[in-house]
Amino acid sequence: MNPGKASGPAVRIENLDKHYGTFHALRKVNLSVGRGERIVVCGPSGSGKSTVIRCINRLEQHDGGRITVLGTELNDDVANIDGIRREVGMVFQHFNLFPHMTVLENCMIAPMIVRKLPRTEAETTARRYLEKVRIPEQAMKFPGQLSGGQQQRVAIARALCMQPQIMLFDEPTSALDPEMISEVLDVMVTLASDGMTMICVTHEMGFARRVADRVVFMDGGEIVEEAPPEEFFTSCRNDRTRQFLSQILGH
Amino acid sequence: MVSLLRNQKVRNALLQVLYVGALAALVLAGVVIARRNLAEQGITSGFDFLYKSTGWDVNFSLLPATANDPYWWFFLIGIINTLFLGTVGLMLATLVGTIVGLARTSSNELARLLGRTYVDIFRNIPLILQVFFWYAVITHLPTPRAAHEAWGMMLTSRGLYVPIPNVGAIAFAAAILAVIAAIALPVWLGRTSRLSQPFGERLGIQLAAAATALATAAVILALGRLPDLPLLDFPALQGLNLKGGLRIPPEFSALAIAIAIYGGSYIAEIVRGGFKSVGKGQMEAALSLGLSPWRVFTLVRLPLALRAMLPILANQYVWLMKATTMGIAVGFTDFFMIVALTINHSGQTLETIGILMAGFLAINLSLAAIFNRINKAIALKGNQLRA
Amino acid sequence: MEMVVVAPPAPGKVEDLKRRFFATPLQALLSLMSLAIMAFVVWKLLDWAVFSAVFTTSGGPEACQAAAGACWSVIAARWRIILFGLYPFEEQWRSALACVAVVVMTVLSCIPAFWTGRRIALVWGAGTALYYVLMKGGVLGLSYVGEEAWGGLALTLFIFVTTCLIGFPLAVCLALLRRSELPWISRTTALIIDGVRSLPLISILFTFAIVLPFALPQWLVGDKLYRVILGSALFFSAYQAEIVRGGMQGVPAGQEEAAMALGMSYWQRISRILLPQAMRNALPATINQFVISFKETSLVVIVGFFEILASGNAAYGTGEWRFAYVEVYAFIAFIYFIFVFSLSRYGAFLERRMSVGER
Ligand SMILES: Nc1ncnc2c1ncn2[C@@H]1O[C@H](COP(=O)(O)OP(=O)(O)OP(=O)(O)O)[C@@H](O)[C@H]1O
Ligand SMILES: [Mg+2]
Repeated sequence: MNPGKASGPAVRIENLDKHYGTFHALRKVNLSVGRGERIVVCGPSGSGKSTVIRCINRLEQHDGGRITVLGTELNDDVANIDGIRREVGMVFQHFNLFPHMTVLENCMIAPMIVRKLPRTEAETTARRYLEKVRIPEQAMKFPGQLSGGQQQRVAIARALCMQPQIMLFDEPTSALDPEMISEVLDVMVTLASDGMTMICVTHEMGFARRVADRVVFMDGGEIVEEAPPEEFFTSCRNDRTRQFLSQILGH
Repeated sequence: MVSLLRNQKVRNALLQVLYVGALAALVLAGVVIARRNLAEQGITSGFDFLYKSTGWDVNFSLLPATANDPYWWFFLIGIINTLFLGTVGLMLATLVGTIVGLARTSSNELARLLGRTYVDIFRNIPLILQVFFWYAVITHLPTPRAAHEAWGMMLTSRGLYVPIPNVGAIAFAAAILAVIAAIALPVWLGRTSRLSQPFGERLGIQLAAAATALATAAVILALGRLPDLPLLDFPALQGLNLKGGLRIPPEFSALAIAIAIYGGSYIAEIVRGGFKSVGKGQMEAALSLGLSPWRVFTLVRLPLALRAMLPILANQYVWLMKATTMGIAVGFTDFFMIVALTINHSGQTLETIGILMAGFLAINLSLAAIFNRINKAIALKGNQLRA
Repeated sequence: MEMVVVAPPAPGKVEDLKRRFFATPLQALLSLMSLAIMAFVVWKLLDWAVFSAVFTTSGGPEACQAAAGACWSVIAARWRIILFGLYPFEEQWRSALACVAVVVMTVLSCIPAFWTGRRIALVWGAGTALYYVLMKGGVLGLSYVGEEAWGGLALTLFIFVTTCLIGFPLAVCLALLRRSELPWISRTTALIIDGVRSLPLISILFTFAIVLPFALPQWLVGDKLYRVILGSALFFSAYQAEIVRGGMQGVPAGQEEAAMALGMSYWQRISRILLPQAMRNALPATINQFVISFKETSLVVIVGFFEILASGNAAYGTGEWRFAYVEVYAFIAFIYFIFVFSLSRYGAFLERRMSVGER
């Protein structure tokens, strides 16, 4: 029980099954993500992208198959769940910043109460990551006083402050106005170049081209296609993939 | 073992079993101890006592009651008293609340100020204090010999005496039903008739219906009249006491007045909220159609406001029903006071508490059911109106 | 009251009055009627309460009874029993100080600077402890006064404060249990909450005061005062739990998910993320509940406590002041009014401030 020390892939998903009541949301999903690898997941709405990455840190409970994160199996063992959540950061579509805390407190709270870091240390870490996402000057403001792009960058900093080994992004730019998208993507690109393991659900195909090692296309709860970006965009085999690509790149 | 405790599913199951088990054990232990304690006092548990006669009397009852009647009959009397006081109280409270609430929403500043002062004063004084106050006022009225008299009614420290018709009980009840019909029929007719019907014609039909119902009431009263007695029985002084007429005891009046005044201040706020929720746009639209202000009020503003008010009003009515338990403070034999007296006299504590809970559950549930029905009946149908 | 009177350019005083109160015949009639009612009530009240009233005890009850107006002498003669009940006469300053402590505590907790879990708990803990030491004595050279001698306003305040102090944490627990994902826990809790809410408070007070001793082992029975406080706290918590739960429902699900994703444990999520936001949402309704429960403390008179209503009844009930019941009730009503009115005004102020949207 010490996620991170073991060797092997960062995340391995085998035959993952997930039901919402009678609705079969994921069907036998297989995916392996190496350390330092950047994966972009795309697909039409309702195809199960969010469900897959939410299963990785147990925001959703899977009901079939195996998920292994950093060598630890994600099962009913509470210690495993806690350990994995500590090593996996997540960024949400709607930021989910804590509105009753300042930006700095948002970044400090988890390291302090989960990792039991002393306050001063937590603060230096927080300020360093706020610098990294290029908003050190907003530290004392409340989330409600920031723009969407700034909030999302705070959310990224907040996740990074836990110093996770894996970052999950669930459509981090789709709630943003167009002019704010690039400031968030820039931060993500920097993060990728630092060697972070990333799994991003996004429809930003430019981002996928630039940083992804692999692009995964999902439809109907299944992984339909999985390929490096240049291959994915130029010579995809599947009809559904082609149709989807023509829709989002088409105009 | 340790790893088993770390398992989420095991933990969840364990927590549930512990929680429910602990609560059940607590209740069970209470019952066991209580039964033992009661047995030591020679009280056998069970519901047999319901058929024994009480040996004490109630001071207010709509049904015949003597000290020889069994406990179950007294519980019934208590429930009926509670419902009766509650119904009278909430009708009066609604009346007061509507008047004050309308004053609070009126366009006249002085009327608004008056309404607001009323609400601010009476909402902020506890109900029980108001009950005590009115009870003191009534019991400090002059004795029957020096009674205040007006329109054949007598106001005394022993209660309010009003004249009643000398008719049989069944005929009297039937006549009351007919009078209720006289009020309900026109309302119902107004709801079912079409807007396209000319206003005058509608009014005619409504008036005719009301008149018919009232005439029926009069006929019933005339037929059910007791022989050889004047139609109305007036209270009159005989010796040191008043004879004749109907006596409304001070306990009842004090509670009804207090509930009306206190409840009225809450209902006024609900009425105000309801009218405030009706959009200006709908009223302006109606006015621009050329409807008269009165018809805009009755056809647009009132129905919409009523729909907004009803759910909150339902809660308030449930609250007022429960407030009748203050009867015990002045000695009105409502359901709760009967329960308290029963525990005192029979010692059947557990059973009686069970009956108390069941009784209030039944009252709550039936009120909720009635209001759900009304709510459904008047709810706006899907596309009827979009907020 | 929203008196949005848009002033027309420099109106004459008379025209202004005319426009506001006599615009149409109906308006004029309404104005005149309201004015008449107001004038009548205010005049009668003033006459009774001030002009024709007797304020001094010098004439004794007889002179007072003869007067046409109010007999405030009864208050002058009996205010101590109304405020402090049967508390020993020479020690009543302690009772007064205890009341002040409670009032100060309430005022402090209305200040936003105290709205963190720890500070509010500290203020209420300290206030209640101070009250308890002052009233009960037995330490610091204060003579011992048992609970059975407490009474009047002081007892009313004590019951209110302890009801909130016990009821509030209980309400939070009940709310958390009711929203639990574990079906048996949430269902059982829902049953308890809805069950208590369907019963009248008096029946619960009665059960705790008179019936509960049968169902408890001897060593657990305790003083009747504390049993009644427990009952009243249970009732309070059933209502407050629903308010807290409403506040929790106003917190987006994403908040807890974000906290989970950061690795926070259940208690950390609840105490750091969920509750602070939920309490803020629930604040206006909570204050309203406090107001209601303050009024409802008066019901303990029914199970035989000597709180302010009972001591009021006693103040006029025996002997020479029998006739002066209106004055006594008016005095008690006035005391209640001050507490309840200011608290509910404060609630209304908060609601307005929050709906304007302060961050
Ligand atoms: N809590 C839930 N209860 C029931 N069904 C759900 C739930 N969450 C998701 N679903 C269903 O599962 C399917 C997959 O959902 P998911 O959120 O993973 O889709 P997605 O690919 O992320 O779509 P989007 O691009 O719109 O975010 C959808 O059909 C959705 O309706
Ligand atoms: Mg999604």
